[in-house]
Amino acid sequence: MAQNTPEATLSQFTRLSQKPGVQSTLIISRDTGAIVRTSGLISSSASANPNSTLPASLETTGENYSNGRKESSMHSAEDVASMVWSFMSAAGKFVEGFDKEDEVKLLRLRMKKNELVIMPDPKFFMVLIHDTPPA
Amino acid sequence: MQQRRDEILAKKAKLAELKRQRELRREASATRSSLGGASPDPLIAPTPDRAGQKRDIEAIIQGIIGDSRPGSTAPGSPAQRADRPTSVISAGQLSSDNEGPAISSFHPMVDSSMQTLSIAPLSTVYEFDAAPPKEKEVITYSKGVQTSTDWSPPKSRGVGVGDSGSERDESPTRSPRASKRLSRRQKERDEEIRANLRKEIEEELKTAQHAGPENGTGPAGSKENFPFKTLTNEELTAVESSEDFVGFIERSTKVLERALDQQLEYDILADYALGGAAVDEEDEGYGSSGGKKGRRIKEIAQFWDERWSKKRMISDLGFSTKFPELVLASYTKNPSAPHDPDGLIQVWNLHMHDRPEYIFHAQSDILTAKFSPFHPNLIIGGAYSGQVLLWDTRAKSAPVQKTPLTGSGHTHPVYSIDIVGTQNANNIISASTDGVVCGWTVDMLSQPQEFLELSSPPPAKTDDMAVTCIAFPQSDPTYFLAGTEEGSIYPCHRYDRAGAKAGVDGRVKYAGHAAPVMSLDFHPARGQIDLGDLVLSSSVDWSVKLWKVRPPAATGPSATTTSSTAQTVTPILDIAREDLVYDARWSPTKPSVFALVDGAGSLEIWDLNLDVEVPIQKVTPSENKRGGLGLGGGAMKGLGYMNRSLNKVAWETNEGRRVAVGGMDGVVSVFEVGGELGGAETRGEEWSGVKRLVGRLEGVGEAAAAAAAAK
Repeated sequence: MAQNTPEATLSQFTRLSQKPGVQSTLIISRDTGAIVRTSGLISSSASANPNSTLPASLETTGENYSNGRKESSMHSAEDVASMVWSFMSAAGKFVEGFDKEDEVKLLRLRMKKNELVIMPDPKFFMVLIHDTPPA
Repeated sequence: MQQRRDEILAKKAKLAELKRQRELRREASATRSSLGGASPDPLIAPTPDRAGQKRDIEAIIQGIIGDSRPGSTAPGSPAQRADRPTSVISAGQLSSDNEGPAISSFHPMVDSSMQTLSIAPLSTVYEFDAAPPKEKEVITYSKGVQTSTDWSPPKSRGVGVGDSGSERDESPTRSPRASKRLSRRQKERDEEIRANLRKEIEEELKTAQHAGPENGTGPAGSKENFPFKTLTNEELTAVESSEDFVGFIERSTKVLERALDQQLEYDILADYALGGAAVDEEDEGYGSSGGKKGRRIKEIAQFWDERWSKKRMISDLGFSTKFPELVLASYTKNPSAPHDPDGLIQVWNLHMHDRPEYIFHAQSDILTAKFSPFHPNLIIGGAYSGQVLLWDTRAKSAPVQKTPLTGSGHTHPVYSIDIVGTQNANNIISASTDGVVCGWTVDMLSQPQEFLELSSPPPAKTDDMAVTCIAFPQSDPTYFLAGTEEGSIYPCHRYDRAGAKAGVDGRVKYAGHAAPVMSLDFHPARGQIDLGDLVLSSSVDWSVKLWKVRPPAATGPSATTTSSTAQTVTPILDIAREDLVYDARWSPTKPSVFALVDGAGSLEIWDLNLDVEVPIQKVTPSENKRGGLGLGGGAMKGLGYMNRSLNKVAWETNEGRRVAVGGMDGVVSVFEVGGELGGAETRGEEWSGVKRLVGRLEGVGEAAAAAAAAK
């Protein structure tokens, strides 16, 4: 598997995002905060990316910002990304306070309607939002 | 008294004045934009109150902003300390809270008269809070100022407000009692003032909060810093093709996948008080003799991958000994995908249903593969090309080692492979269909360490021996059984030993099968009674046979009466089945239990102690959970019945609870058996039961043989 081309590997991500119950996925670069990949979220340039696994911002870089804020009905990728970002930094702070040697390995946030699974990595975050199973 | 009253009045006036000033300032603030304009005011003003006010404001703002500012807190009076929380929660509440601590803290510090005085200033402190919210920027600037000038006097002790200071000077002259009374009155008044102040503070807080998000870069810092950097196409491809990224995707998707699957299995937030979750009583549904819970069998997982499993047959299965949730499956080639590697191994995880944990490749069909029992990361396999391959789960999908395609090793398909020995000294033993058996060290596959060519013993018409499978007993790595295409099973020695040369031991022949032997399995003998000499063989002659093998020592010179003709041993139990039997394996834990799979696609679980003629359980992997649909419409469909055929069965070795089966359709199905058919703990009578059964069967066999001889 490890030998596979990036495309093959990415197809795993695509497949994951298409599993039943999965609402949206998001990969955020940790260095820059850039959104590398999303699915199931209106990114600011949603219209430009019907594929939805494409990054939010291929062409319409400039407009993204202004547009993104307006779509409040659904989460925009940027909003989610920034929420995740701050959530993760809070979690990071918490862990640091808890045990300096430790680090965050996985975050599962169970809500009434959704569950958020965040997998941090030295360079990226992967975020997955899915339905909670009917209780 | 009078004096005191006057003072109070004066103070009130001052308060009023201050309020007015604040109002003015508020109005002014709109116009006043620069810090410089704002800050000098309070500094210059003779009343230090302003400093206090400013400090409080700051505290509030700080609290709102959420930044810790040790500098301002440390010197602060108790009142101020209390202020910070105030600002965080609600100003009104907190300010009332403040009173308590403020008063109490002063009591011990100063004489009683001073206490009262100190209260008053506190209230004034609050009053001043009103002004500041406007100037956010003042914060940093005034901080410096405070510490250098204004702050130094107050530092002595919290009261640091000018008003109180002046009063304090006079206070010693007054009697404590008077001051107390005064203080009561004053308190009441103060209450009123405070109530007003609270309102004001709350308002201010509100405004401050509004202001906070806007210009308060401090608190929102992380968010603001969060760069919504958008990547260009080039950057994106760079990121996506970076090794880091690929590795990350690899890891994280697996984790997320497991997370999702785990949730499907069990919801940890399940509330059993809510609604009746269906209690599954479908035990009856399984198998023919269903019913009893301990003997049930249940399908727990099926593994199939659209991309890789398609049109491949499963050639071998095995559980990891170290990680019992991992199931290895080797596959033959996909004839319709010439560009994919022919050989494939997928390692499935019982906790991840939709994709394999690992995928390994080879250039030729892999016919057999297993986890090394001595090293959890290593997987060995035999290929159609005759190669022996070694993969490492820490490495990439290509084999880390493989034998060369030269004459020194196998030149025919390797259908059987095993690792024998101990943790520190073990060998890979491989057997190919031309009768060549090779021994390899795990470290060096370039050349076989041992090379043994098996040939049929004398009575046979040809020397060639087509080995289909080999099996080593638990106790002796130098001796093994080899099943052949012709149906006989021969004992073989790896080395020369007394009375027997390396190779096939021609003196004994286990004859019984009329068709190629598909599997051989020594009893895993882990119990009180050694049953290690029991061997199970399966064959495409529609039968499974149970053998009691002669210990190699007994086949020594003394045992052989006539060395010219081979001694023929017959099975002690012959179980006829309704179809080709492709594989039969002992349960690793239960002495009397074994599993077999047949060409009709059934998995059968047998318990010799209970019944030697009918399986305890017979199940077929559920159709179309995944695999069926993969084949749906495919060329295999024409085979109909054929594609259900099961080739291999494997037990999970540690607990003996799980059985994996796989076959033509490339689907791996994992079943879990009930407590009577699996599980680590066994009862003594199970072992002795098997022993007795074997004894009985042997007796019958001998009697029959004797009867046959008599005729």
